[in-house]
Order: sequence, then structure tokens, then C-alpha cells
Amino acid sequence: MDIREWALLIFTILGQLAAGALLVLMIVRAYAAAKAGVKEADRMTDGPLFMVVPIMGLALLSSLLHLNNLGNVVKAVPNLGTSWLSREVVIAVTFVVIAGVYTLMQWRKIGPTILRDIIGWIATLIGLVQTYAMAMVYMIRTQPSWNTITTPITFFATTLLLGALAVALALVINYNSIQKKDAKAGEKQLDLLRGALQGIAITAIILLGIEFLVLPFYMAHLGSAALQSLKIMTETYGLTLVIRLLLVFLGAGVLATYLYRNASESGKEKTLTILSSSAFVLVLVAEVMGRFLFYATHVRIGL
Amino acid sequence: MEKQLAFYFDASACTGCKACAIACKDRSDLPVGINWRKVYQYEGGGWVSHPENKDLLIPSNLFVYSVSTACMHCEKPICMEVCPATAITKREDGVVLIDNTKCIGCRYCEWACPYGAVQFNEEKGYMTKCDFCQDLQAKGQKPVCVDACVMRVLDVGELDELRAKYGNVSAIEPLPTSDLTEPAVVITPHKHAQTSGSGTGHILSVEES
Ligand code: SF4
Ligand code: SF4
Ligand code: SF4
Repeated sequence: MDIREWALLIFTILGQLAAGALLVLMIVRAYAAAKAGVKEADRMTDGPLFMVVPIMGLALLSSLLHLNNLGNVVKAVPNLGTSWLSREVVIAVTFVVIAGVYTLMQWRKIGPTILRDIIGWIATLIGLVQTYAMAMVYMIRTQPSWNTITTPITFFATTLLLGALAVALALVINYNSIQKKDAKAGEKQLDLLRGALQGIAITAIILLGIEFLVLPFYMAHLGSAALQSLKIMTETYGLTLVIRLLLVFLGAGVLATYLYRNASESGKEKTLTILSSSAFVLVLVAEVMGRFLFYATHVRIGL
Repeated sequence: MEKQLAFYFDASACTGCKACAIACKDRSDLPVGINWRKVYQYEGGGWVSHPENKDLLIPSNLFVYSVSTACMHCEKPICMEVCPATAITKREDGVVLIDNTKCIGCRYCEWACPYGAVQFNEEKGYMTKCDFCQDLQAKGQKPVCVDACVMRVLDVGELDELRAKYGNVSAIEPLPTSDLTEPAVVITPHKHAQTSGSGTGHILSVEES
């Protein structure tokens, strides 16, 4: 892999992380608001919301590496008619801007709650479109290892999985700081936190199932349409693939199960920090490895 | 019917001498690593034991032939489709050109083109490829690759006319199947030529091509 592909790897992983985090935060927020009112929901998600824009900003920064310079961002836009790369640029910039507006409004409490929520959901939707666009960039008919339905499926799985676990960690950190400042406020939040973590843990386990389900289909596709890619995958990077699968299983399977259990019982708040942070780190590394394989094994048809 | 300028290549008589590739490189002063025209040697078959003497190996279906390639100025140019900067355009006469003032060097077209025709100039920061010697053709002359060929196996002309004269073959190994980009090329196959997508051989020394 060259620098350009590393830049794209960072761009897609961070971009998907940001989009997934916003989606999961919006869901958690709706859940908290329904259960305990808007004020508690604000308290729960306002802090974690601050991660979305910086992460997306970093993603865009790394994408500049493959667009060579800032001026080129504008030059990359004109072919919206047929180029998914053009579309991706426009969508990614729109996403970060609207997510930024939403964060600002939420932070400063500008405008009525309903308006803020609507903007938040619009940003979320654009984030999901961004994941779709990212996948379409690779659906080139001369790249058989990319041009398969598993590309969008895995991109969306990564989006949700990374987003969910990043939000779990952010929620726990946010809760810890509330608890430290004001034990009473913390108590009200604990219930919400536990509910959200249970939901996230279950989501992670389901997504793990999807990733493992998709794998044999992907391998079969490589076997029939991209033999060379399959060869590189199994011969050169077999170990990488095995480690990736192990890590995602540990993070989204084993640790997520513990997270679910410990979130269900009271008095286990301390372990939540360790569990959510280690689950996130393991899955992040696993997804980076998965994306690495995606780039390292593609072989174009022809000369 | 729209006009479409095309290459003709007679694989049955090409000796693989690479004079075309060298002439092209010279005409456009291409740096090391960039070759708009390339000649691939495709070989296949193998050696089997002699039926009466196991230790004696005899050739079985051994073959090798050469394919001279450049940008195919495709009718469905995937390079142009994916380029985000609209730097790649297809002229009225079918010639596909890159505008290097528009190219941002993202190399997306390089991922897409199945002929390896678009090549990145690291130093200049933009993508380059065969321009069909448009300056010479405008003056009624032939491209230098065509003129340089000692075996007279290369030519240019209207795609329809070339097809009427030489037939419809546009995809022999190691070229990709033509449904991908509909290349503007007419090939007279070598007698051992294998159809694209069903090849049993391989390219000899890729680095050398
Ligand atoms: S050969 Fe490649 S670069 Fe040339 S027109 Fe076809 S797709 Fe484009
Ligand atoms: S490298 Fe240049 S010509 Fe190729 S896709 Fe990018 S902008 Fe277009
Ligand atoms: S037409 Fe000109 S630029 Fe194209 S391969 Fe031949 S010599 Fe090179």
C-alpha cells in the first residue's frame, strides 16, 4: 500500500466512525428524551456530540493527502454527473458543515429543540449517504474485489460498529465526569447510561454476526471473480485476516457481552470504563486491519 | 454513426521488437517508468514427458505472441467516467484526451482503466497517456508508433472502416474483455491467440513490457 491508500484508509475509517457516532448519538438521545426528558438527554449526549466534527475534520484532512492540495478539493467537484469521487467530496463537506451547525446549535442551545433535532437528523442522514458514496467510489467494474455488494455492506457495518462503540466509550466518560461533579445528577443519568450501553452492546454483537456472515460470501466472490485478490488475501495476508477476525470477535463479541452484563447489574460502573474503552480500541484496530486488506488485495482487471 | 478513430494491430505478424514503444517514448520525451505504448509478450503451454521416455521433456502447445498496446480511446472510456475533475474528455473524432491543467492527480482513473494506459507523472503531478499523436494526425501524418513499426503491423483509421477490412476482434489475451470499456481497436489475432477472459497463459516479464 502506498501513502495515498493509507490516506484513503484513514479517510474512510474516520469518516465512517464520525457518521456512525452521530447516528448512534441521535438514537441514544431520542431514547433518553423519551425516558427522562430533553434536559437529561442534553446532559447525556451534548458532551459526546463534540467528537463528531473533529473526527470528520481529521478524516477530511487525511483525504487532502490524496487530493494533493486544498485547491484541488474544488477542482474535484465538477464531475457530479458520473464520478462518485466528486459526489463523495461534496457529501463529505456537506456532512461536516451540517454536523458542525448542529453541534453549535446544541452547544449554545440556539433555536427550539425540535429544530435542533431536525438538523441533527439531517446531518445523520447525510452521514449515512456519505458511507454509501464511499462504497460507490470503489464499485468500479474493472476492480472485481471491490465491485461487489459486500463493499457497501461492510462499509455500513463498520460505520455502525465503530460509531456504536465510540459512543459507548464517550457516554461512559461523560457519565464519569457528571458523577464526579454532582453525584445526584449522576444518579439520574446512570439508568439512562445503562440502558444505552445495553442497546449498544446488543447492536455490536449483531453487527459482529453480520460481518462473519458476509465473509464467506465475500471469499466465494473473490474465488469466482477475483482469484488474484483471493491469493493475496490468503497467501500474503492470511495472518492479518485471522488476527482481524480474532480482534473483532473479542471486541464486538466477548467484551460487548461483558459490557451488556455489567451494564445490567448495578454497582459495576467502574468496569464500564475499562470494558467500553477496550472494546472500542480492539474493534477500531480490527476495522483498520479489515480496511487495510481491502486496499492491499485489490487487483485491476487487464493490464 | 459517430466518428471513432481507432488503432489497428496485426498480432499475427508482430515480432515484439518494441520499436513502436521506443518511438512513442522518444516523441513525447517520456520519463523513466512511463510508457504510453507497451508491448506485452504472452506465453502459454508447457512441457510434458515423452510417452516412451519419461525423462525426455517435449513441448506441448507451447506458444508465445506479442500484443502492442496503448490507450484504446475507448467508446465507453471508464477513465473519463470516474475522473472527478472532468480532466478527461472524448473528442468528436473519438480521441480521448487528458487536460493536465484540470487533472488533480488523484489517480482514480488509474484504478479504473483496464489497459494500464493512464500513467502518473510524479514530477509534474498529473496523469498522462497516449494522445494519439493528435498533432501529427492533424497534419495528415501517421502516429510515430505506426511509422516506426518495422513489420507494418500498426495502423490507425476509422473504427468502422477497420472493422470492415479486418474483422471485429478487439480482445485477445492478455487484454481485458471489451465489454468493460469498448476499446477502439481492431486486432488480427495471432494463430495461437486466446480469447480475453479465457486465457491459460501469462505475461512474460511484466516489468519489461
Ligand atoms: S484505454 Fe483506458 S485511458 Fe484509454 S480511453 Fe480506455 S479507459 Fe480511458
Ligand atoms: S488523476 Fe487526473 S485524470 Fe485521473 S481521475 Fe484524477 S483528476 Fe482525473
Ligand atoms: S499514437 Fe502517438 S502517443 Fe499514442 S502510442 Fe502511438 S506514438 Fe504514442
